[in-house]
Amino acid sequence: MRKVILSIAFLSTMGMLQLNAGEQFAMSDADRAMYKEMLENNPAEIYVEEGGEILEDSLGGEEALAKFLGVSEKDLPKYIAGFPRYVEKLGNVVGIDQVLQAMEVEQGKKKTKLKSGKMFSMLAYVKSLANDELIGIDVDADEHIKAAYALGKKTYMTARGGRGLSCNSCHSADIVGQVLRTQPLPDLGEVAVGGTWPAYRMTKSSLRTPQRRFQGCMKNALLKVIPIGSKEMVALEVYVTKLGADKKKKIAIPGLKR
Amino acid sequence: MHTKLKYLAMTALFFSASSAMYAVDLTKAYDMPDATEMIKKDLFPAAKKYTMPKSCDLNDPKAIARGEYIFHNLNGKKAKKPAPEGLVKFVEKKGKDGKVKKKAKQFGNCVACHNIEGARGAGNIGPSLESYKENFIDTKARDAQFVYQKIADPRIDNPNTHMTVNLTTGLFNEQEICDLTAYVISEKKKK
Ligand code: HEC
Ligand code: HEC
Repeated sequence: MRKVILSIAFLSTMGMLQLNAGEQFAMSDADRAMYKEMLENNPAEIYVEEGGEILEDSLGGEEALAKFLGVSEKDLPKYIAGFPRYVEKLGNVVGIDQVLQAMEVEQGKKKTKLKSGKMFSMLAYVKSLANDELIGIDVDADEHIKAAYALGKKTYMTARGGRGLSCNSCHSADIVGQVLRTQPLPDLGEVAVGGTWPAYRMTKSSLRTPQRRFQGCMKNALLKVIPIGSKEMVALEVYVTKLGADKKKKIAIPGLKR
Repeated sequence: MHTKLKYLAMTALFFSASSAMYAVDLTKAYDMPDATEMIKKDLFPAAKKYTMPKSCDLNDPKAIARGEYIFHNLNGKKAKKPAPEGLVKFVEKKGKDGKVKKKAKQFGNCVACHNIEGARGAGNIGPSLESYKENFIDTKARDAQFVYQKIADPRIDNPNTHMTVNLTTGLFNEQEICDLTAYVISEKKKK
């Protein structure tokens, strides 16, 4: 039953739960109608488009990006689908946003802040270049990504903060599908976090990146919120992205979330 | 002619050297703020055993009222009803800048995981605590000490628990754990 709930679309999931549990759940009929409408017309498309324009105008677009990463334009989508990854000239396992910062610096431009809306838009655009590709993260590719994966797993499992919770407290397999307050707990692999974020978050009316989403859970559960782009944050993204890769999920940016 | 060539060669050398100097070291070109220390400071101590203090008055209606409030609310900002006697919604904390700020007091939000009498939007990660007195206390399956320990630090009973730790983390004090215990094991009105 749990598996079934999660494998079908969010919309019908909410519908089913609604049948089972009546008014307990947070999504009203009006919310559901809005969600359906937004599925056809994701408000975040605007940001993605805007991100594409910024990239084109200020950094030279895909051509410059491919060149910076040392891949052909043809191979760019597959390469993007493998982020976060080790990029030798940056000397670290990095996210797409950090690559964009390095490009800016190389071109003598001002670095865009990782947590800025502008960066979120650019990141969403670049990731959307990989749409329809399988999530391509390879956590055995080299020693660096192996270490990042291990750090990600550790960060995911570490209970901390005011309530002594870890990501795993709420997202481990044995508790997925159960209900926290009015929210069914998602299986982070099944919902393909690595393939659906950046996403438009309806409850926040804005475009959010995966790391920004992790921060949301940290804040709610009283874990000290760690900064976007930190080693641990990138590592968390590596770990969570792998969960979706294991389930052969594809990239579809921008996602649409509650 | 000869000197001209030399000059050219020199400028070429100069340019390649300067561009090598300019090939920015990209390993520092992007932000990677530190989180290791933040996480270290955020860790919490190992599981700890507690004995319910003698001062716990489990029949005190005021304690039960406070326990109920802590159980059903997430924090003082979100809580709608006024706090019962002996509890506050906001606490004053000194910030890094030395200024005193009002911060919402955190409550238990136990209802996120547990159903209980009168719960709204209860979760089901933890067992239902409905009719707890009849089912667990009156039958002697559990006692107040068990409930106190479970709420204070559930890892003693179950090292792999998904439940929040409430006393060892310092989020609550002994009195508040008493209040919660009193509420959980109290006789409640049937709807
Ligand atoms: C106290 C419980 C709790 C903790 C701890 C927690 N989460 Fe969550 N998480 C949730 C709930 C509930 C949702 C679903 C919320 C919704 O649908 O809006 C969620 C949703 C998410 C999502 C969005 C999934 C999607 O694509 O729809 C991500 C990503 C996520 N969590 C990651 C994390 C990470 C990483 C951590 C640890 C740093 C973490 N969570 C800790 C409860 C928690
Ligand atoms: C994130 C989920 C979660 C939260 C929040 C939570 N609990 Fe629990 N609780 C559990 C789970 C799961 C169990 C089952 C035993 C275990 O795994 O430790 C449990 C067990 C219990 C029990 C023991 C029931 C029995 O007799 O076996 C009591 C009492 C209890 N919780 C009270 C509370 C109180 C009071 C709070 C709030 C301060 C709270 N819980 C918050 C998940 C939670």
